[in-house]
Amino acid sequence: MDKKNKLIAIVGAANVLDDPKTLEAWSQDESFVPARRPWFVVRPQNLEQVQALVQWANETRTPLVPVSSGAPHFHGDTVPSVPEAVIVDLSGMNKIIKIDRRNRMVYVEPGVTYAELAPALAAEGLRISTPLKPRPNKSVMASLLERNPTQIPRLNFSLPEPLRALGVVWGTGDVAFTGDAGSGPLSLEAQWQKNLAQIDPKGPNATDLMRLMTGAQGTMGIAAWASVRCELLPSARSYHFLPAEKLESLVDFCHQLERDRLGDEVFVLNAAQAARLFAASPDEIGSLQEALPQWMVVVGISGAAFYPEERVAVQEKDLQIMAQKFSLSLLPSLPGVTHAQVSQALYGCSQENYWKLAPKGGNQELFFLTTLDKAPGFVATVQAIAAELKFPINDLGVYIQPQHQGVSQHVEFNLPYNPKCEKEVAKVKAIFEKASAALLADGAYFSRPYGSWAAPVYNRDATAKHVLQVVKNILDPNNVMNPGKLCF
Amino acid sequence: MEISRDAYRAIEDIVGAENISDDPAFLDSYAFQWLAELVRPENSHYMPRPWAVVLPATTEEVQAIHRVCNKYGIKIKPISTGWYHWAAPMKDNEPTIQIDLRRMDKIISIDEKNMVAVVEPYVTCAQLQAEVMKLGLNINIIGAGCSTSIVASASTYFGAGPSSYYMGNNSDNLLGQEWVTPGGDVVLTGSLSSDCGWFCGEGPGPSLRGVTRGNMGSRGGLGTYTKCAIKLAPWHGAAVLEPQGPPPAYRLPIPENTRVYTIGVPSWDAFAETYLNIYDNEIGYIFHRQFNLAGADLAPALWLTYLRPDGTMNDVETASKDPEMQKLADEGRISFQIILQGRSVDEVKLQDKILDAIMAKTGAYKVGRFCEQDFAEFTHMYLQRLGHKHCNFIWVGGYMGSWMQAGIPDFVKNYSPVAIDGFYRDQKQSDGLVQCGGDALMGCGSSISGGGYFGFEQFVSYDPNDKASVQACVKHMYDAIDDCKANGIPLGKEYIYLMIGWPDEQIWNDFSKAPQTFVLHFQRKIKEHFDPRELGDRNYPWLPKGMGQPNFITQS
Repeated sequence: MDKKNKLIAIVGAANVLDDPKTLEAWSQDESFVPARRPWFVVRPQNLEQVQALVQWANETRTPLVPVSSGAPHFHGDTVPSVPEAVIVDLSGMNKIIKIDRRNRMVYVEPGVTYAELAPALAAEGLRISTPLKPRPNKSVMASLLERNPTQIPRLNFSLPEPLRALGVVWGTGDVAFTGDAGSGPLSLEAQWQKNLAQIDPKGPNATDLMRLMTGAQGTMGIAAWASVRCELLPSARSYHFLPAEKLESLVDFCHQLERDRLGDEVFVLNAAQAARLFAASPDEIGSLQEALPQWMVVVGISGAAFYPEERVAVQEKDLQIMAQKFSLSLLPSLPGVTHAQVSQALYGCSQENYWKLAPKGGNQELFFLTTLDKAPGFVATVQAIAAELKFPINDLGVYIQPQHQGVSQHVEFNLPYNPKCEKEVAKVKAIFEKASAALLADGAYFSRPYGSWAAPVYNRDATAKHVLQVVKNILDPNNVMNPGKLCF
Repeated sequence: MEISRDAYRAIEDIVGAENISDDPAFLDSYAFQWLAELVRPENSHYMPRPWAVVLPATTEEVQAIHRVCNKYGIKIKPISTGWYHWAAPMKDNEPTIQIDLRRMDKIISIDEKNMVAVVEPYVTCAQLQAEVMKLGLNINIIGAGCSTSIVASASTYFGAGPSSYYMGNNSDNLLGQEWVTPGGDVVLTGSLSSDCGWFCGEGPGPSLRGVTRGNMGSRGGLGTYTKCAIKLAPWHGAAVLEPQGPPPAYRLPIPENTRVYTIGVPSWDAFAETYLNIYDNEIGYIFHRQFNLAGADLAPALWLTYLRPDGTMNDVETASKDPEMQKLADEGRISFQIILQGRSVDEVKLQDKILDAIMAKTGAYKVGRFCEQDFAEFTHMYLQRLGHKHCNFIWVGGYMGSWMQAGIPDFVKNYSPVAIDGFYRDQKQSDGLVQCGGDALMGCGSSISGGGYFGFEQFVSYDPNDKASVQACVKHMYDAIDDCKANGIPLGKEYIYLMIGWPDEQIWNDFSKAPQTFVLHFQRKIKEHFDPRELGDRNYPWLPKGMGQPNFITQS
């Protein structure tokens, strides 16, 4: 049986695609990673089919590239690095398996998106901490597995939060659950019958299997379900803005804010990034940016359960005192931004036209982790390189998202460009490469080393790289899971 | 097995003659471990005697020791502050060097702004807490108390404590570690591996910490951890804890932004409802069930006697017969402690109001005597510092913690009565166990970061110097296993304790019946790679090739 027929036998003819248009669409993304056409795109519908695919891939030594979110993709991890690859499109596995209001957990398949999950949770009085205005077709599971930053640092007890447990088809073809789910029967239903919930991310045993799946870009296995911790949906909310001319003026305040776990959504934006985030349409971005302060802290406050309004009032009072202590003004709104626009930005998904692409059609992200005290220095580095390479400095968007209850910060630069203009593409690519090298040299931590970041990151520590390769060899001995990524 | 003196000399050359010993008197002090009598022949208090003990001062010395041990085939067993019998060598016929990390006792740095401390293995929770409180910060002290090593709980062992509900489990607070593999390689995790500092334990890419920092960690069975970074938490109390009152029941004054309560509930159902409401409402700084460790029947008599400057253990029996004390025992039979701390007075007032609303909803109540100032201040001291671990052994010098399966409130409320009935039954059957009532269940309000999941440990008090008492305890451990099996409950802590005394084949036979064996085979392969000479012991468990069911789901 040839490859196509074997794939058809596993997932059905309707779920095996190899027409040129489809393959072309999957051959590249929005990043500068070189394009490569896959041989097939397959759409499994359940865990059993995923397992059969992985077993087949091991038998035939066929590379698999798992993808859960819809396009556009941004980091090169969904583009095959080697020939003959099969894209495993998991978007059809999109069931919200269960919402457990009592224990505040939700169980999702990989294709469940933020746009689908939010209303389903809201109907149960729940929510999850989300990335900043995710695109509507962004997979919840993929976002968590890739440790995308989430907006509420006080809930971020660890970087993978709120991800808790996974059901994984490992690269070996074995199915094994992670966390506390790894100690019970190999069936969610059987575990639920025993009152076992999949809440503890640690384990099973002396290993933390979930952690080996995070940041892995699909190189270790394919997760077929995830359990995710939820929060109560607030019934009272307010938000506040603390403007400043310089980022440095906000650092001490943010340290205190994050330490005291005050507020829910907490992050820092520059005017360019804020204008894109809040603008109702791309046409408004320019004028809005001119009206906005150069830098700002955004603080969302909420209250749920008992006395929600009083919770908001107490936090607002504490925030006011803290702002005064650091000589910052506390604004209830931003010029030119409506209540609805802020709500959509903080609590909603992007429109179909993804907000980061809206200004010019293309956008290059550059992000890493650091500590807050070092963030202004890294911003200055990128600004200098952008200026040196004649990039319009006012277009450089900056987003700083506290993580892990304020211990680390996701620092993200956004460079919008016109993808049809070769000159602009070349310029942004040059800035990306030069800035990446400079940031790496200065101690920025590229914890999610996509594309060209991987080699310099892993070359920094040969021992850690070797250990990771040993792990990979155990979990995916034939290197069928997204080969060519990271250090594999 | 005889080992060449060359091995001893080689290690002596690494650390100096004053930092290595094979004097039997010293060695036996390492073999003498709590719980040994439950698993050792003749109920001996001694685990196997190490071949030698060595006290390295640096990571490089640890690395060099590992390499010598590889050369000569000597097992390694690191110990920092130690807890339980498995801190010692495991087998009599396997020469083991105990690597005592007490000289590695430095707080390397405290980054106040970014809330990170970097410590060596012999830095205890109490030491670090005292330093970081001066900066308005705090640490999660694990249930085993403030004299325990932070590196141990974060890198290689359980990491939960009364404050994990708010401050996080130390597994999540781990921001990077320095791991000397049995083979002698130094592995750095997280941002440290990119030379970017100690602030992130994840990545780059997949998180290497996942190899060893699982549910329990590798417990000294897969090399030595020589440093770690730990996330700190906010502290809105005094810069220095100033205990007051007569010993031993020191009291910590309760400031205006703090409340300390013992909350009672009428039933286990009400317990679960109260728990879930506290969890939903996100109130609380410390959440724990502490005082039942003395047993529900005797707890008030013990603790109120403990508070009296002139009280002695001899007074407890009389006190327990006082009708008022018995009434209090009933009032607090199903109870827990909660400490509220606000960043402001307004915030704690609101938390207080929310707690009142929860109690009104679930039928919970404040246990009056335990909420009076003297007892509340005692509770405050006990739980903020967790320095009263001697109380674990208070009845007759020994205790064994059974059960402790963690789960959701509905899971715990279902097994708690089973644990209570089983303990009560065994107390009646044998006077070898302290007759303290069936409910000696205590434990953290959350065994994971942020709540929603916890377990209770049954404090089975026995006399380690009385063989009949020891054997009664062992019988209870097997009874608890049977109770679990009969009720479809996963096995608890007593099972892990007993396993220390079993031969490999018995352990593997049990492991092979586990519903999922994938991880045990993964761990075998990790061991084969990083510990090819098997220098680490079975505290890092694994399953021989071919044993257990493969984790396949057949195509439907």
